[in-house]
Amino acid sequence: MNKQPDPVVTNKRMKWIVMAVVTLIAAGLISYFASPHPDGLERVAANHGFIDRAKQPSWSAWIPDYEFPGIHSAYVRVGLAGVIGVATLFGVLYALTKPLARREEVESHGEGDHHSS
Amino acid sequence: MHIPDGFLDVKSCVTTGVLGIGAVAYSLRKTRLTLSRPEVPKIALIGAFIFAAQMLNFPIAGATSGHFLGGAMASILFGPAVGVVIMSAVLIIQALIFQDGGLTVLGANIICTGVIGSYVGYGVYRLGVKWLRGHATKAVSFIAAWCSIVSASCGVAILLAWSGTFSLGVALQAMAGWHSLIGVGEGLITAMVVAYLTERNVAFDGIPSKKEARLS
Repeated sequence: MNKQPDPVVTNKRMKWIVMAVVTLIAAGLISYFASPHPDGLERVAANHGFIDRAKQPSWSAWIPDYEFPGIHSAYVRVGLAGVIGVATLFGVLYALTKPLARREEVESHGEGDHHSS
Repeated sequence: MHIPDGFLDVKSCVTTGVLGIGAVAYSLRKTRLTLSRPEVPKIALIGAFIFAAQMLNFPIAGATSGHFLGGAMASILFGPAVGVVIMSAVLIIQALIFQDGGLTVLGANIICTGVIGSYVGYGVYRLGVKWLRGHATKAVSFIAAWCSIVSASCGVAILLAWSGTFSLGVALQAMAGWHSLIGVGEGLITAMVVAYLTERNVAFDGIPSKKEARLS
């Protein structure tokens, strides 16, 4: 079996645009249809009788339970929460990692990403 | 698999809190040493994707659901240190803005789904790539992601048992049992996304052809 070169993260702009579109569709349009059943940990907690130990939060978050408050349609409440979450994550991670990035280029493989930022 | 406030006792919260702060500090330092500028928007986008994918609970057996975690995917793409940074950002924002996962157990959630999830996923992936000499990377990603989520659930089980909720054996069996099912979804999503976002550069050595440069 001949050795294959290690896969590296793509620089094809189109693929990243597709990822962004998929992310927005998932958070904004599909999230409403997510299964409402308890997840693995909640199932275990319910089956073994300690689900009641979960404390109600003593403070109120901006968007509790992934539903943007004050909107009539549940579909819009969940979708809006999703889009806000996606935008927040993108912004926070961008602002956090931008000052940490010192090098201009990826060292080991200089594939096709030569648009200078 | 977000632990809510109240499931863990004080000693578990404090211990994992300290470990969590240490892990995030270490990961940020390591990230600073290795990160390149073109990776920044990609990392931010993967974090956003993981948040979105975590919202999509899918049904599994017995009126139970599971959702994607993403530690394996993030660390396969960018290395485990960046994986921990991405997962911690997701968990902190989920707790602060969406009240998903408690505040006193934030360290525990970061240790389990962030640190264990990222490092186990990355370790299994690297081993698989080495053993199979770079072949069958989709299968390797699937198994790495499955191991990642099952080991993260074992971490939660150990913390639950340590907090006196139920015995360790029962905890491990219950958590690993459910999450070995959820791990199939984790594996499928991870294998698909990793295959889509990675490529092998064999055609040229460092200098992109005009066609390559235009495509990218």
